[in-house]
Amino acid sequence: MIEFREVTYVHENGVRALDGITLKIDTGETVAIVGENGAGKTTLIKHVTGLLKPTSGAVLVDGIDTRQTSTAALSRRVGIAFQNPDHQLFSESVKEEIAFALRNFGFPPSLVEQRVSWGLQLFGLEEYRESSPLVLSGGEKKRLTLACILAWDPEVVMLDEPTVGQDAIQKEKLAGTIRMLGSTGKTVVVVSHDIEFLWPLQSRVVVMKSGRIVADGPAPEVMTQKEMLESARVAEPQLVSFYQALVRRPRSPFVDALEARLWIEGDKAADSGRPAVT
Amino acid sequence: MWLSSGFIFRKGTSRYHKLDPRVKLLISALMFVTTLIVRSVFQLAIVLVFMVAVAAVATVLKRVARTMALTATFSAFIFVINIVFTRNLETSALYASRFVAIVVSTSLFFITTSPDELEQVMKMFRLPRDVVFAFVTAVRFIPVMMLDALQIMDAQKSRGLELEKGNLLRRVRNMIPILIPLVVNAVVRSGELAEAMESRAYGAVARPTSLMEYRARAGDRAVAVFAIVTFAFAAYSFYFLLPTFMP
Amino acid sequence: MEIENLSFRYPDAPKKAVDSFTLEMGESEIVVLAGPSGCGKSTLLRAINGLIPHMYTGDYSGDVRVAGSSVKASSMRDLAQTVGFLFQNPENQIFMFTVERDVAFGLENLGVPRPEMRRRVDEAIGLLGIDDLSQRAPHELSDGQKQRVALAGVLAMRPRLIILDEPTSLLDPKTAMELVDLVARLRKELGTTFVVVEHRLDLLVRVANRIVVMNAGVKVLDGTPRDVLFGEAADGYGVAVPAVTKVQRMLAKDRFVADDRLYSAAELASIVERRDE
Repeated sequence: MIEFREVTYVHENGVRALDGITLKIDTGETVAIVGENGAGKTTLIKHVTGLLKPTSGAVLVDGIDTRQTSTAALSRRVGIAFQNPDHQLFSESVKEEIAFALRNFGFPPSLVEQRVSWGLQLFGLEEYRESSPLVLSGGEKKRLTLACILAWDPEVVMLDEPTVGQDAIQKEKLAGTIRMLGSTGKTVVVVSHDIEFLWPLQSRVVVMKSGRIVADGPAPEVMTQKEMLESARVAEPQLVSFYQALVRRPRSPFVDALEARLWIEGDKAADSGRPAVT
Repeated sequence: MWLSSGFIFRKGTSRYHKLDPRVKLLISALMFVTTLIVRSVFQLAIVLVFMVAVAAVATVLKRVARTMALTATFSAFIFVINIVFTRNLETSALYASRFVAIVVSTSLFFITTSPDELEQVMKMFRLPRDVVFAFVTAVRFIPVMMLDALQIMDAQKSRGLELEKGNLLRRVRNMIPILIPLVVNAVVRSGELAEAMESRAYGAVARPTSLMEYRARAGDRAVAVFAIVTFAFAAYSFYFLLPTFMP
Repeated sequence: MEIENLSFRYPDAPKKAVDSFTLEMGESEIVVLAGPSGCGKSTLLRAINGLIPHMYTGDYSGDVRVAGSSVKASSMRDLAQTVGFLFQNPENQIFMFTVERDVAFGLENLGVPRPEMRRRVDEAIGLLGIDDLSQRAPHELSDGQKQRVALAGVLAMRPRLIILDEPTSLLDPKTAMELVDLVARLRKELGTTFVVVEHRLDLLVRVANRIVVMNAGVKVLDGTPRDVLFGEAADGYGVAVPAVTKVQRMLAKDRFVADDRLYSAAELASIVERRDE
């Protein structure tokens, strides 16, 4: 369970990256954090593992203040997948790469073996077991960083802009992975500005602007507040635009049927999503 | 950290900052040479006072003072080593304070001269254009690489890497997960830079033209002449006229 | 610009990166190049601006011609003045300490005389609306701003064709839309042709007049956005069909809406409303 209590973070140059953030994320929730570049999304998630400590206020993970413990200890429970895999790959082989964090966290060698194999299989990287991580393609590297994190089985998984540079097929797989993590009881936090990707996940959405939280609630509630989204420079999902442009009230059976069809037909990858606009 | 306060350029508006960079180079070079000429601590103290005065004129007094304070430790170290080997108080003090003066004179140049001006000076000394370009690019990417390093450290810390713990050997080993991605990124970066350079016709012409014009102003020339005259006077005085305290 | 039966294989590579690729483009077009990761888009782009074969060698067959001249026969110096390339990472294409000087970089390399250079630099900076940034250092800029600076540097060379390699990948949606609008405006004002590699089609579909889809080095689809996105084939190639277009497809199947062009969310909604009556 992650809790932010009136957290403010001020940079050396005086910029307030976070301004009075109060937020609670329960175990097992999937939360999307959206906002324009510079709104403070990455700063927020860095506070969860103590990479950054608040200037005022407190961040608590399962009741422990992040200032009272180390980043390593917090990372054991909260895995962060940063945007750029090239900022962390360095081992001689892919299997060593996955083993790195496991060893740091004190896993016994037999368990390390097991988890490495599991991670390789889960993300379809078995064929690269002995290869250097540096020769993998961009998409494969991203899968590898995810494999590294899931290998140590943190309770919370945070993804920072996971869709950057990914094609449609890769994004579908990613959405599937996020759903899978949620269904196994993990807490998942996704920071992204790719609204079209987030919409079908229908998760809780937190909107940030200039270091503050300006909205927080279920996707259908938050993503339909046009003015708020405009001022936070967050794009509106296309389907929301469509349904909201249908001015007619009450809605006709035709539109309901249309909606239902979208839900069924689009479900091949569930990427039309269910607008659930009333 | 002392490297930062002592040698990184920051924009300034003083008359000194606006001097032609060759003049700034001249002034620092003359100061440097003077510190090598002086024969006693007393004379060096005069030089240091002069440097501090120039720093004040250039509105960089705080930074120079900080640099002096930060070099004091190493300077003290030099003093002690010299005392141990020569048992001569005078010369030891001289060498120790000479070190501080040398650092201050070079620091003064670098903190008041922008990378653009440095490039300009290099071009004026007819250094090969590839060398100048390599230098410019390197300096341009220093902040970028520093940011990369921070992001890499964040990523590895999030995988349980503890940089603060352990004995010296362990700490050195723990730098590997930081250094390898940094180097790899730098190599990839240079590849991308090469593509961009080619795509913008780098090397198309033997003598590239320049958007900016650099001309020394009359005032700058006057300052240069003044600096040379002062130096000549000081050198002469220190060497011949003033009594030395060396036996 | 014409690509005629181009094939290219990197040295030591088992397969061709680009295989018998043919494509034609006219002036004032915005062409989107899409396809799954690893399909050869990057290779194709570099074959257009000359980095292949001048900087990267390999098995090269076929021909690429821009504005009448063959790419493999021209020098990079000439090509740089006809084809501009905006790379994916704006950071790694800004060399100088000040924005203004970086925009002039290509012109300095070409030995353009100072007055002409000044004019072109000011013009490019004006076109991109970055006048207030001209004296800044690159590390003081946001990603979107760096993008514009890099584009200004390309525009200063006055190319006829500009390649944009995933220009929006680092940008948030609003900034990305601003960039797309800018590109559309430049096309209109300057008549430049743009080739844009992009995954996020929903942003580009409004302004593109053509979509070309590649897979495993081969061209698989080529047509207007309507043609390419309406055909179900696009889905198979990992092309991100915008959600609104999927709605339109569904409605078009039952003839509720025309399928002559792509409609926006608002347009579709008003059509549904009218049909509903």
